[in-house]
Amino acid sequence: MHILLVEDNDDDIELTQLAFDQNRIANRLDVVKNGEQALSYLFRRDEFAHRKDDPLPALILLDLKLPGLHGLEVLEQLRANSTTRHLPVVVLTSSREQEDMLQSYERGANSFIRKPVDFGKFKEAVHQLQLYWLVLNESPFKQPQED
Amino acid sequence: MDESAFGTLAQGFIPHGHCYLWTPSLVMLHAGSDALIGLAYVAIPIALLMVVRQRRDLPFSWMFVLFGVFIVACGLTHLVEIWNIWHSNYWFSGGVKFVTAAASIPTAYLLFRLLPTIRSMPTRDDLVYANRALKNANYELEQFSSAVSHDLRAPLRRMSGFSEALKNNHSGQIDEQGQHYLDRIQEASHNMEAIIDDLLSLSRLQREALKNETVDLSRIAERIVTELQQEDPERRVEVDIQSGLTLQGDANMLTMALKNLLSNAWKFSKEQSQARIRVGETTVGGRRVIYVNDNGIGFDMSLANKLFEPFQRLHGESRYPGTGIGLAIVDRIIRKHGGEIWPESRKGEGSTFYFTTEWRRD
Repeated sequence: MHILLVEDNDDDIELTQLAFDQNRIANRLDVVKNGEQALSYLFRRDEFAHRKDDPLPALILLDLKLPGLHGLEVLEQLRANSTTRHLPVVVLTSSREQEDMLQSYERGANSFIRKPVDFGKFKEAVHQLQLYWLVLNESPFKQPQED
Repeated sequence: MDESAFGTLAQGFIPHGHCYLWTPSLVMLHAGSDALIGLAYVAIPIALLMVVRQRRDLPFSWMFVLFGVFIVACGLTHLVEIWNIWHSNYWFSGGVKFVTAAASIPTAYLLFRLLPTIRSMPTRDDLVYANRALKNANYELEQFSSAVSHDLRAPLRRMSGFSEALKNNHSGQIDEQGQHYLDRIQEASHNMEAIIDDLLSLSRLQREALKNETVDLSRIAERIVTELQQEDPERRVEVDIQSGLTLQGDANMLTMALKNLLSNAWKFSKEQSQARIRVGETTVGGRRVIYVNDNGIGFDMSLANKLFEPFQRLHGESRYPGTGIGLAIVDRIIRKHGGEIWPESRKGEGSTFYFTTEWRRD
């Protein structure tokens, strides 16, 4: 089981990876850096066409402020497609705007998390996320042989 | 001359009917027209009076009243004209004309004097334009707070994250002084986060609509004090919250206001051996007010006017940390409700914040 991180900022990618490492999370973290790439990855097209048989990620961590296609648009397209409609999507953003949160839920986000400034708290949040979505939560995408 | 046939010869004058040679159609034409003009001239001021009474916001309403008087006077001159077809009360009609003249001269004079003011009044288009400009400014403000929310927070998080990673993962290579610097970076990031959060609250207050619900301030205060105690378990503070403090307002906003007032009371009483915080209600000048009182360090009342301005602090930041925005938020919340807030304090003798609860909203 792996997790997909949609995040354009290298520092944030590094910090998320660091939080994964420090939490000793064994799941692979795939990273795409913009909305278009996220859709190509999930729909297995363009540069990802050769990975047609790879399982979909068990969880998507989605940043909202992405260059080009906005995070909310990515979410909308995921929810419109039958293969990705039920994928758990956690919006992970710096924004504290109420509007962003409402819009995310409106478009079918499973969860909305504001990245804490404090790295310790961020680490804890990543730990909880992994525990909940990859261990506790039963997903239609969970493949028994991977357990 | 037969008076009964030709009208009265008052004061020896001949009635106007003579000038018309008593031609019935001509007499009817003059009498009828004068009657209609007179009627209209009396009706117009009634309309003006209604406008003035129903639209009390109208500028120069006194001009409408003056117009009304002038037009009624004009109407009277026409009615007297009818009378004078048969009666020759020319002194009386002259008198009525004189009154009309007396009303018309100041009306005309004042109208001319009013011209520059009328000309400078914003037109409908001006107002539409100004409204659009305001909407744009508001939109930009929203964009700004969204930028503050995201774009300022993100780099801050990275600074905090990497300095913590440095501290945790590379502690062997950093001496004690270096660790201390890393702690300073951490704390500064937390401070800035708190400032960004408070600034956002302040700007959001302006945009958000006020809810009207019954708010139990006593319960909210109890909850806030419990939270303060949890964050600061060492402190022993005697807290006295009067029960049943309810009022109408926006629960979220009033909670935010009370939280700021109580955490100030908590913070500024920390050097007292027997700290005490009281929340209750009383009457000031016949008005019901709610107060938050502490026996902390207090402040010099001559600086009270600075208290509610953002980023103003009366005490050193290192001893009493805070963003300096808390009371500005409280002030804005109370004013948004239509209430008033004021402090009462003396240096070294604690302070009390009062706010009114009978909101006056226009």
